[in-house]
Amino acid sequence: MATIVHDQRDNTYEDPTHRAPLVLGGLNYGGITDTVAGVVETRKPPFAWYVAFGISLALLAMLGALIVHLFMKGVGVWGNSNPTFWGWPIVNFVFWVGIGHAGTLISAILFLFRQNWRTGINRAAEAMTIFAVICAGMFPGIHIGRIWVFYWLFPIPTEHLAMWPQFRSPLLWDVFAVSTYFTVSLLFWYMGLLPDLATLRDRATGKWRKMIYGIFSLGWSGSARAWHRYEIAYMILAALSTPLVLSVHTIVSFDFAVSQLPGWHTTIFPPYFVAGAIFSGFAMVVTLLVPARELFGLKNLITVRHLENMNKIIMATGLMVGTAYAIEFFIAYYGQVEVEQFAFLNRARGHFAWAYWIMITCNVLIPQLFWFKFFRTNVWLMVVICICVNIGMWFERFVICVTSLNRDFLPSSWGYFHPTWVDIGMLVGSFGLFGTLFLLFCRFLPAVAIAEVKLVAPTEAH
Amino acid sequence: MTTTHRPARHSASHPSGGAPAAESRMIGVLGQFDDPAALVAAAEQAHQAGYRRLDAYSPFPVHGIDAALGIRRSRLPFFVLLIGTCGCFFGLFMQWYANAASSSPIFPGYAFIISGKPFWSIPANIPVTFEVIVLSSAFATFFGMLFLNRLPRLANPLHRIARFRRASNDRFFLVIDQDDPHFDRSRTENELLAWGSTGVEPVLQDLTDNQLPSWMKAAAVLLGLFLLLPPVLIYRAHYATNGQPRLHVIPDMDDQYRYKPQALGPNWLVNRLPQYFFVDERVMREPLLGTVARGELRNDSEYFLGIKSAPAGSALRATPNQPEQTEIVSGPRAATVQDPAAIQETAGNQEPAANQEPAANQAGAAAAGQVPAEPEPDWVTEFPSRLTIDEALMRRGRDRFQIYCTACHGYAGDGDGLVNQRAMELAVSNVIEKGTTANATWTQVKSLHDPAVTVQPIGRIFDTISHGRGTMGPYGRQIPTADRWAIVLYVKALQATRAGEPKPEPPVTEGNNPPNGQGG
Repeated sequence: MATIVHDQRDNTYEDPTHRAPLVLGGLNYGGITDTVAGVVETRKPPFAWYVAFGISLALLAMLGALIVHLFMKGVGVWGNSNPTFWGWPIVNFVFWVGIGHAGTLISAILFLFRQNWRTGINRAAEAMTIFAVICAGMFPGIHIGRIWVFYWLFPIPTEHLAMWPQFRSPLLWDVFAVSTYFTVSLLFWYMGLLPDLATLRDRATGKWRKMIYGIFSLGWSGSARAWHRYEIAYMILAALSTPLVLSVHTIVSFDFAVSQLPGWHTTIFPPYFVAGAIFSGFAMVVTLLVPARELFGLKNLITVRHLENMNKIIMATGLMVGTAYAIEFFIAYYGQVEVEQFAFLNRARGHFAWAYWIMITCNVLIPQLFWFKFFRTNVWLMVVICICVNIGMWFERFVICVTSLNRDFLPSSWGYFHPTWVDIGMLVGSFGLFGTLFLLFCRFLPAVAIAEVKLVAPTEAH
Repeated sequence: MTTTHRPARHSASHPSGGAPAAESRMIGVLGQFDDPAALVAAAEQAHQAGYRRLDAYSPFPVHGIDAALGIRRSRLPFFVLLIGTCGCFFGLFMQWYANAASSSPIFPGYAFIISGKPFWSIPANIPVTFEVIVLSSAFATFFGMLFLNRLPRLANPLHRIARFRRASNDRFFLVIDQDDPHFDRSRTENELLAWGSTGVEPVLQDLTDNQLPSWMKAAAVLLGLFLLLPPVLIYRAHYATNGQPRLHVIPDMDDQYRYKPQALGPNWLVNRLPQYFFVDERVMREPLLGTVARGELRNDSEYFLGIKSAPAGSALRATPNQPEQTEIVSGPRAATVQDPAAIQETAGNQEPAANQEPAANQAGAAAAGQVPAEPEPDWVTEFPSRLTIDEALMRRGRDRFQIYCTACHGYAGDGDGLVNQRAMELAVSNVIEKGTTANATWTQVKSLHDPAVTVQPIGRIFDTISHGRGTMGPYGRQIPTADRWAIVLYVKALQATRAGEPKPEPPVTEGNNPPNGQGG
């Protein structure tokens, strides 16, 4: 327990004689509470928050208008057309689901591995998971064509139809996987929020704040018996979420892998998709947290060491994804199936080669910069690299989805995919939805898990 | 133990000022600690001192406190295991019921062949089962935790203590309950101070504050009234007559936005000119002339018309004024390919025929009774060879006869069916009361045992069923051809029962199930 208190900003050194501190600035328990709760309790958030919120809200309004346009006109407003019937909506769906996976990895898998540094970032990452899954679930939801019978997705008894969902279809597995993932993530996030909501309740001064935080903290009092059951429940939820997060992107990959299209029908898809999801999700966490910690003064709790650890994971998962790209080509060569070989060569040399090489550059080459500590610890350079990773991962899904479809078995039906302005607007608008939710979260809920950070704070510090 | 610690709002209503009023009750003593280690040490000492009803409060889980307080391990994991197992079976059952159950009492299953895969195969059902297990276990974990912790609990005396607000921030508290057998207020407070407490305070439960705020009562009454609305509306709807169609909560595909084949298309105006799907205003193209739908080829005159097959076209030429007797199935579009001349004739008559149809219907029975004498077609006298005359056909004929014919003709074919009886009553009463026969339009239904009928060849009876005769309507559209022949067979059998001495029944072919001699 005897940890030397370093009142310094650099905790990225490696000193085998003691653990590097995860809370800087000499913050004691009260200081941690003040730092995090202060973000929520301040009368006026930083000006940049208003700017970002205004932009996000405008993009969200555009998304809403485009969805209305889609419902009025039908799915023909998208670029999906013969032979590429899975265009940007599915690409966006897989992209956003993947983003979500980092939050669950941080909150559940790193918890099971007792990685204490997760405490500083897990709250924001879990929030990001929920908002990303909302964005993801939206795309297949509005893709079903006859939106007014959306409830056919679920096993609900119908009055006269005498029909049920087809449980042997990966698309139905997807419905179950994504909705379960959303629900469990929400429960996990809310349970983690309970003690912190109680903190906000106890510090609240206004009537409305007292009432709202009072209701949502459910009367949490911090009793030792409650903490005992809470910790067991947290452990169980972590143990449930760990296979769940692996199953979700596995099932998303089944959407492709269970079909018999060259380029999709490969057994490597589940691990490859999961690694890619964690890769893109961590990149998004870094992209969001670097500005957030600057803006809200959370640098003592979300330290450079936290960011550096995430960058190491980004590099590791990036190497896994790069290996998967190489193995796909090797299997195509080794399998000696002509159409398979064509499908992969067409990715690298066909009409969509530009997309393929953007993917390779952003996902495989650029993350190699993280071998150097300078790039791992320079906050603005890592944001640039992480944005590149996100662009690359979006293109990975685009390459998988579109290049396999637009050159399928029948050469007479080959075509080129063109997105429409609605496609582009909806992708941009989904960032508006995500940004709006995330900015509201930063403003009204504790962005760092107050109770959990106190567990890893140096005990002599106060 | 009951003490008054703050001026009560209702103290004026109490009679005596000196007696301690029961406005608040002490439920325990709280000791504050500044350090998690001090809390654990104090909890250990309290446990050793014999206190059992006590609890610690901290802003984060303090390790070692469970052992110090003697907290036993929660049974939450077993509860989650139970619910998760139930979720597994529920997930499997749901998929089996929806996709593999062959017969189900309500909400029937949807056993549908996909790529020749089996209806029930565990590998394909693993993902959904897994998700259902995780979902049910997560709900069990979260709500089980809340239940065991007795949350949500929005009123807690501890939250009324100012210093306890720091229990969620940076201070640690030990609360010893008043109902602990070892509890004595002054001794317990001193002990807490001796164990390192930096502040000791009684925990008071405010007994005056157990009334709901008045606005909440009003809101509850309003909510109750609103909740009464649905049952009232349902009750009203149950006893009211409503001309509207039944309300469909979930319409699914009951009403489809499509046009029936061969219906008139929608007329939308473009530049003030009517526009249609096709120039002939239909929503669907007609089949090419000479095309015949599957199963609609009716080139067997004996079987479909009851007329002996004569040299090509002669039967048709015998009835030039009755184009419908060419057994046109659905208007001129599905014309029978029987005779090139007939096709030309129907094709040529298409438009006029379509226009004349309503007029012909309006002319009705009066016109039908005065059809000029025409040469009778050459009716068949034997059952067509493609029919198997056996007992099964006879039974079929009896069933069809009793469904379609008995309403007017009666069960025995005497022309005394219920419709006829009632219509005759009305006609007679009309005559008696008003002294006129002007409205007595009913014609006595013909007995099938009438000599005029018994002598008819079976082809003629078949034709009557198919196209109607006199005031009798046509049944060709409603009764399939084979069933009409079955009815003819049954009619002939009925007639045979009245013909003085028993005649031999129509010849019964030696089929797979020969009659046992007592059939009929």
